[in-house]
Amino acid sequence: MFPIVAHEELAPNVHRMTVKASVVAEKAQPGQFVILITDEKGERIPFTISGWDAARGTVDFVYIEVGKTTRQLGALRPGDELAHFVGPLGKPAEVDHYGHVVAVASGYGAAAILPVLRALKEKENRITTILQAPDRERAFCAEELEQASDRLILALGSPGEEMTVSATRPLRKILANHPQNPVHRMVVMGSLCLMRVISEMTRPYSIKTMVHLTPLMVDGTGMCGACRCSIQGKNRFACVHGPEFDGHEVDGWDVLMARRCTYADESILQQSFQCRGCSQW
Amino acid sequence: MSETKETGPSEETGKKKVKMNLNRLEMPKQEPEVRRRNFDEVATGYTYEMTMEEASRCIQCKKRNCQQGCPVNIDIPDFIKHLQDGNIEAASKVLKAKTSLPGICGRVCPQELQCENSCTLNKKGAPVAIGRLERFIADWERTSGAVSKPELAPSTGKCVAVVGTGPSGLTVASDLAIRGHQVTMYEALHVAGGVLMYGIPEFRLPKEIVQREVQYVSSLGVDIHLDTVIGINYSLDELLNTKYQAVYLATGAGLPQFLRVPGENLNMVYSANEFLTRTNLMKAYLYPEYATPVKMGRKVAVIGGGNVAMDSARCAVRLGAQEVYVIYRRTRQEMPARLEEVENAEEEGIHFHFLCNPTGFISDGRNNVSAMELVRMKLGEPDASGRRRPVPIEGSEYTMDVDTAIISLGTSPNPLIASTTPDLETSRWGTVITDERGKTSKARVWAGGDIVSGGATVISAMGEGRRAASAMHEFLSQ
Ligand SMILES: Cc1cc2nc3c(=O)[nH]c(=O)nc-3n(C[C@H](O)[C@H](O)[C@H](O)COP(=O)(O)OP(=O)(O)OC[C@H]3O[C@@H](n4cnc5c(N)ncnc54)[C@H](O)[C@@H]3O)c2cc1C
Ligand SMILES: Cc1cc2nc3c(=O)[nH]c(=O)nc-3n(C[C@H](O)[C@H](O)[C@H](O)COP(=O)(O)OP(=O)(O)OC[C@H]3O[C@@H](n4cnc5c(N)ncnc54)[C@H](O)[C@@H]3O)c2cc1C
Ligand code: SF4
Ligand code: FES
Repeated sequence: MFPIVAHEELAPNVHRMTVKASVVAEKAQPGQFVILITDEKGERIPFTISGWDAARGTVDFVYIEVGKTTRQLGALRPGDELAHFVGPLGKPAEVDHYGHVVAVASGYGAAAILPVLRALKEKENRITTILQAPDRERAFCAEELEQASDRLILALGSPGEEMTVSATRPLRKILANHPQNPVHRMVVMGSLCLMRVISEMTRPYSIKTMVHLTPLMVDGTGMCGACRCSIQGKNRFACVHGPEFDGHEVDGWDVLMARRCTYADESILQQSFQCRGCSQW
Repeated sequence: MSETKETGPSEETGKKKVKMNLNRLEMPKQEPEVRRRNFDEVATGYTYEMTMEEASRCIQCKKRNCQQGCPVNIDIPDFIKHLQDGNIEAASKVLKAKTSLPGICGRVCPQELQCENSCTLNKKGAPVAIGRLERFIADWERTSGAVSKPELAPSTGKCVAVVGTGPSGLTVASDLAIRGHQVTMYEALHVAGGVLMYGIPEFRLPKEIVQREVQYVSSLGVDIHLDTVIGINYSLDELLNTKYQAVYLATGAGLPQFLRVPGENLNMVYSANEFLTRTNLMKAYLYPEYATPVKMGRKVAVIGGGNVAMDSARCAVRLGAQEVYVIYRRTRQEMPARLEEVENAEEEGIHFHFLCNPTGFISDGRNNVSAMELVRMKLGEPDASGRRRPVPIEGSEYTMDVDTAIISLGTSPNPLIASTTPDLETSRWGTVITDERGKTSKARVWAGGDIVSGGATVISAMGEGRRAASAMHEFLSQ
């Protein structure tokens, strides 16, 4: 059993959970994820690691209440225990000295991208971060992002179909100054729609754009193939070959998004999730 | 049960002549119409009386053909003799001397290719139903509560790590624990049992039985660490350099293969591993009591002809599919699935399409699969495996409407450990290379089961474990 040591609400329906799991904390790296099960009848669900403390043996992640299991998580308190907690899964994010890195985050990505930004900072990159959120109240982790970046741009905008527009506006400005004020690399963590839109924006500039794909997963160790994605015509398992991929090499966005929604139904709490083009709506 | 009991010719066994009964007793099963709607065990097992009647058919051959046909050399005539004498406890002891998983072997072993195939009676009529007798003994022991536990040798102070908790790992763990070694098992998933838990469905192998066997192994003092992936949480070298004098790798062959045809990633195209894992391990058939869902359409194509395909098709029926088609590129004769399971599937209304192969999947316009393109096949020259190779017939393309497809082509070993252990020798297919006693190219490391064979049977995974355990014990005793 894995005890919950801290649990705080960052914004409405958004929580940070800290779990004691020393085996995971010992090996965690930026961009990796865990899979947890709340109780013996629970499902295996993945969350990106947003921080860890190897000395104390704790791991934390930030989650949004969107459905059955995340709502269940929301009701747990420090001292309660999770039945299972496995990780760190997936490959760590690629981190090196690139120069000027532009990061775009939305949703839980705002927290999940923090370890990646800190590692990029350690490699002496200059970081510009665009944080997309519906409004200031829901722009959680803004302070941490500000500390981890050289510059933070808040892109606030209404949810729904306009959602991705707010982040693309500041990015368009940045790209307009490229290559005089060059962008050497992009990292995006957010909804599949946002990652797709950003990848298409940077493609004409040939700026390498890393995205963190979140297909449905079951085992998370390469056994089931549920998470397969088409990358340059080849099937790749997001749980072992990813979840970070070069966004310009992802060639199955439509299929990926349709598969992501296989189990989407009326129970979804997050209205903005019902995006256009989705196979289930 | 068998009204047409007749007495066949007599056979020379040792010195005296014995009359042979050539008809085996059928095992009671749930009616197809009933079992199509539930996940309860299909075959309900022999009663005590039936067991005694079937056991009485055994003529106690001196030559022990059946035993020679058993991959782990169970003393079959001896346990049947004890049954004939009505001593089930003694029969159980004989079984347990060679297999720690009789309740499982009795249910899923391909006896028709092994012990029963070799049985003397098989020459003239139906062989003794050895598997059903084995199952009865294991179930009797389980329900009577009188689980016999072997005596453990005094502690040797040696530590062994076993990676993977499928049948092969469980066998090595119990064999070495009995010999006094301290065994720790590591399992990536949240439950121990390997394919027995995540692959083979409840209606063929109740999960409670698997968990009993796991509990038995831990009752021998074996530590089981779940949620621990070797190659991630600890590398193989870390295991060898910290606490363990020896390691046994039994991580199975869990990597699903795909057809590599267009449209294969469309929504509602599953790998059998995903479909079976959701259904069996995560108990999606009990959704929403269990949180994991599995979506099932009305018209389902299962691609493949092995046990995995049969299990997928039969799960699909039980999850409410209206029509289920098994699509196999060879003919019925070449199907690798157990005959008994093919018959069960047919009784449950599953249709078989032979000599055809999918060449693509078509979208409904919203990225859900709506049809499958196929080509008809014919059998050509025999290939390396001796089976005639299927070749496509030009111009025979056709389409078939389906809203769900389950790719059940087989699996290969997960590369996780090999890729993090450069000095572990593997084959072109990713299997770990060993000598005949399971020793790998790496010092102090043995391997067995599907990770070595690339995918075989429960009993062979156990047998390899047994051989490796004795080699490991010799090494640890030096
Ligand atoms: C590698 C990886 C990392 C992830 N990291 C995080 C993280 O750090 N924080 C986090 O909050 N979530 C993360 N997710 C998504 C998270 O796993 C899902 O939000 C969660 O499984 C929903 O579970 P549920 O039972 O509450 O919802 P369900 O009841 O299962 O919701 C119904 C269905 O809606 C869909 N759905 C609902 N919400 C979302 C969403 N936000 N994104 C995508 N699909 C959705 C899914 O298909 C889901 O099955 C990650 C996913 C992956 C694959
Ligand atoms: C659907 C299906 C039906 C079958 N039907 C039959 C049948 O009727 N009769 C029969 O005899 N055989 C059948 N088989 C084959 C049989 O189940 C296998 O041959 C057997 O289970 C192999 O045993 P194993 O111990 O080698 O591996 P597995 O049973 O595959 O167990 C391996 C275990 O190792 C774990 N693991 C993998 N990687 C790691 C890692 N890096 N770290 C930690 N743990 C890890 C896995 O999670 C798994 O639990 C069937 C197989 C399938 C898939
Ligand atoms: S071969 Fe058949 S009849 Fe002979 S001992 Fe074995 S089970 Fe009995
Ligand atoms: S989640 Fe099963 S293979 Fe990736």
